[in-house]
Amino acid sequence: MDPEHETWKMTAGCDHAVEYVYQFLDEELTWWHRARIKWHLRRCSHCESAYEFESKLKSVIRQRGRSEPPPELFDTLRALIEEERSNRDQDQGQDDRP
Amino acid sequence: MADQADFERDAMQYAPQLYSAALRMTRNPADAEDIVQETFLKAYRAYDSFQEGTNLKAWLYRILTNTYINKYRKKQRRPNEVELGELQDLYLYRRLGEASGASVSAEKEVLDAFVDQDIIEAIESLPENFRMPVLLADVDGFSYKEIAEMLDIPIGTVMSRLHRGRKALQRKLWNVAQERGLVGPGT
Repeated sequence: MDPEHETWKMTAGCDHAVEYVYQFLDEELTWWHRARIKWHLRRCSHCESAYEFESKLKSVIRQRGRSEPPPELFDTLRALIEEERSNRDQDQGQDDRP
Repeated sequence: MADQADFERDAMQYAPQLYSAALRMTRNPADAEDIVQETFLKAYRAYDSFQEGTNLKAWLYRILTNTYINKYRKKQRRPNEVELGELQDLYLYRRLGEASGASVSAEKEVLDAFVDQDIIEAIESLPENFRMPVLLADVDGFSYKEIAEMLDIPIGTVMSRLHRGRKALQRKLWNVAQERGLVGPGT
């Protein structure tokens, strides 16, 4: 056990920072609330480290959570839209007939 | 109002992201391609009603999530509302800290060691009602409000599902880290 983690005595400020970590990183807090948490992070290296970790995890998920589409996807979608367009043009042509 | 003639030019750039999201939702390439095709067809037909200047990506994702939910929830008698056990906040961070007695830099190195497949499997391991908000927020970067509109649930529900879903995702990544020997004695 890391002695640093054992001695992470949670203060009210820490509880608050941990509770709002996702809303902070998601940029869903008011300016005032954000400033209050930043104030705590500047004074608490434990919470600051935890925030840095969560922030990095979020960017890792964003970068590595995607899959590439099959190469023919664009052609398939274009063909689909083209077909829909020509069907519609035909229908409209029929409607216009006297 | 948008012009239908511009649809391809405007919307096609989002096809790869939509496909990737569809694959995380369905967990199956054939189904993913299916719902992306249906999404593009619906979007093309409705494009005249899209308000130009508003968020096209969010509009397309809304059609995608609706298509997915209508198509796949029908197969289940009841929506699959699974509950997750209560997990500690900062789950992964705390486990890594305990396991390695590590410095913060070592904890971050574990994150660097995760490959795409680790992250993808962790997302796909989540029950649907948690997977959707986590996917839409963490991978696709939508706001709580946008996700609430897409999934037609209150913002408070989005937040609580995100909170619990992310912790479950972290537990899964913790298991992966252990299985892959990224943590443990000697590290």
